[in-house]
Amino acid sequence: MNGAPTAKEVMAVAIANDLEDGQWVEVGANLPVPRAGALLAHLTHGPNMTVMLAMTKAYLRDVPVIEEFAFITDVAATRWAEAYYPHDRLLSEMRFRRKGVFFSGGIQIDRFGNSNLIGIGHDPRRLDLRGPGGIGTCNATLQNGCYHLVTTSHSPRVLVERCDYISALGYGDGTPGFRERYGLGANGPASIITPLCVFGFDAETRAARLKSIHPGVTLAQVREQTGFEVGSGRDVADTVAPTQEQLELLRTRIDVKGSLR
Amino acid sequence: MSTAAERRSVIVDERAAIDGVQDGMTIAIGGFINAAHPMAIVRQIVRSGARDLTVVGAASSGLEVDMLIAAGCARTVISAYVGAEGLAPIGPAFRRAAQTGELDVFELDEAHYYAGLRASAQRLPFNPWRAGVGTSYPDVNPRLETFADPLNGELLIAVPAIEIDIAFLHAAISDRYGNVQHAGSGYGDRALHAAADRTVVQVELIVSNEQIRQNPAATTIPGADAIVRVPYGAHPFASHGYYPADEAHIREYAAAATDWLKTGSRSRLDDYLERYVRGPADHVEYLERVGVRQVLALSEYA
Repeated sequence: MNGAPTAKEVMAVAIANDLEDGQWVEVGANLPVPRAGALLAHLTHGPNMTVMLAMTKAYLRDVPVIEEFAFITDVAATRWAEAYYPHDRLLSEMRFRRKGVFFSGGIQIDRFGNSNLIGIGHDPRRLDLRGPGGIGTCNATLQNGCYHLVTTSHSPRVLVERCDYISALGYGDGTPGFRERYGLGANGPASIITPLCVFGFDAETRAARLKSIHPGVTLAQVREQTGFEVGSGRDVADTVAPTQEQLELLRTRIDVKGSLR
Repeated sequence: MSTAAERRSVIVDERAAIDGVQDGMTIAIGGFINAAHPMAIVRQIVRSGARDLTVVGAASSGLEVDMLIAAGCARTVISAYVGAEGLAPIGPAFRRAAQTGELDVFELDEAHYYAGLRASAQRLPFNPWRAGVGTSYPDVNPRLETFADPLNGELLIAVPAIEIDIAFLHAAISDRYGNVQHAGSGYGDRALHAAADRTVVQVELIVSNEQIRQNPAATTIPGADAIVRVPYGAHPFASHGYYPADEAHIREYAAAATDWLKTGSRSRLDDYLERYVRGPADHVEYLERVGVRQVLALSEYA
């Protein structure tokens, strides 16, 4: 494959490498990077993975080119369906999501993994920036067995110390047992995946902690572009670079139009 | 008395489809983001000049809700998203009206939305839901109340019943008796029907009762109160099995509404509304203004 991997391709591969066969992965239309990552995992090591595409249960390993669709409602994306997930049913049946993996975006993501799609500003009745609304992220981040935060915009405006509003709960204010006090499982987000790096969360402090930096990115760049303290950078790995096989699958079967390039 | 009773057709014309809509009422608009919104009916509601409506959009709604806000019909919106994905990530009129305080947003998650519809369908005051405790939802929307469940003391959110006066939906086909069959998944339309006092469905095609009976398992709304036949009635949004979204037209609306958001001037938005919504006398005239060529060019598999 010609051309070095782009930041978005590195993100997609990081997502794929973390997914396991047998998982149920929800792919929205508006997040091309998680879509590509989930499909890549499905093609490479996920024959028993269920990929939810355009609100259908899809099996895509035999599909030569998995076209990209602009909308979650695109009829062409439903032609591989083994089943439809009628939306009211999808949002009522929670038990199977234990094996689910979810990817959530946010107009703000904070140090403790909370995220915000509601808006920015002090008065919720008169926001400075009205966000799109939380969609299903409040619920999906709680009900799925695992979730990751993903942003394609690594900046101090997105990666903030504290969110103005929390639509999807991470580790709250970071105090020990925050989630448990609300009767919620201990697991908030597993990671924040950005074009520069991957953050994990410290088991004690519950704060975001650099896990790996993408090839060609420096610690100073990450510091400069992050609105919270990223730590000393000790014990930080390099994000695993895409293999030739992964890049080829991305560019010839998953992302032919090049939305990650 | 032995008059020969006959089964009654529920087919109405597009003006009668919105009979009963009154200022201040709660109406629902089915579909999902860029698909399956009953647009012929939405445009008729705008023409009627209805005001102060509580609009229950889809769980994630599109620019049909934005248009009802832009036209001054909506006072409150109940939906977890208003936008058009890549074409307009946040509905421009929704954003403007929420930021100025003209619009009340009933902030909730898609799962809360269905819990509220389920409560209405079950004639209960609320349905409980777990997700949301510890988040900002109960703060920004005081109608979502955190409570300890009486059995185990677990913290849950009480989502109040979302009671709908009239649900307006778009589907593929119906017979004259209101037996509706969607193409595709039908999104959350069944839940809106179950939560509403009355359901009005616009369809692409009226079919024979015999055709419905060939596949009764496909009937999604068994007994709509009124059916209106409006081919291309979801335009500019997609109608599964018939046509995809008209992206160019959605962009045209989004650009006009974005101009209002950015400049505070309504002139482009009012031009759009006059040209495509208030100006045309009916759905056919709307399609004429869009143009036969543009409408017929819409093809799902090209």
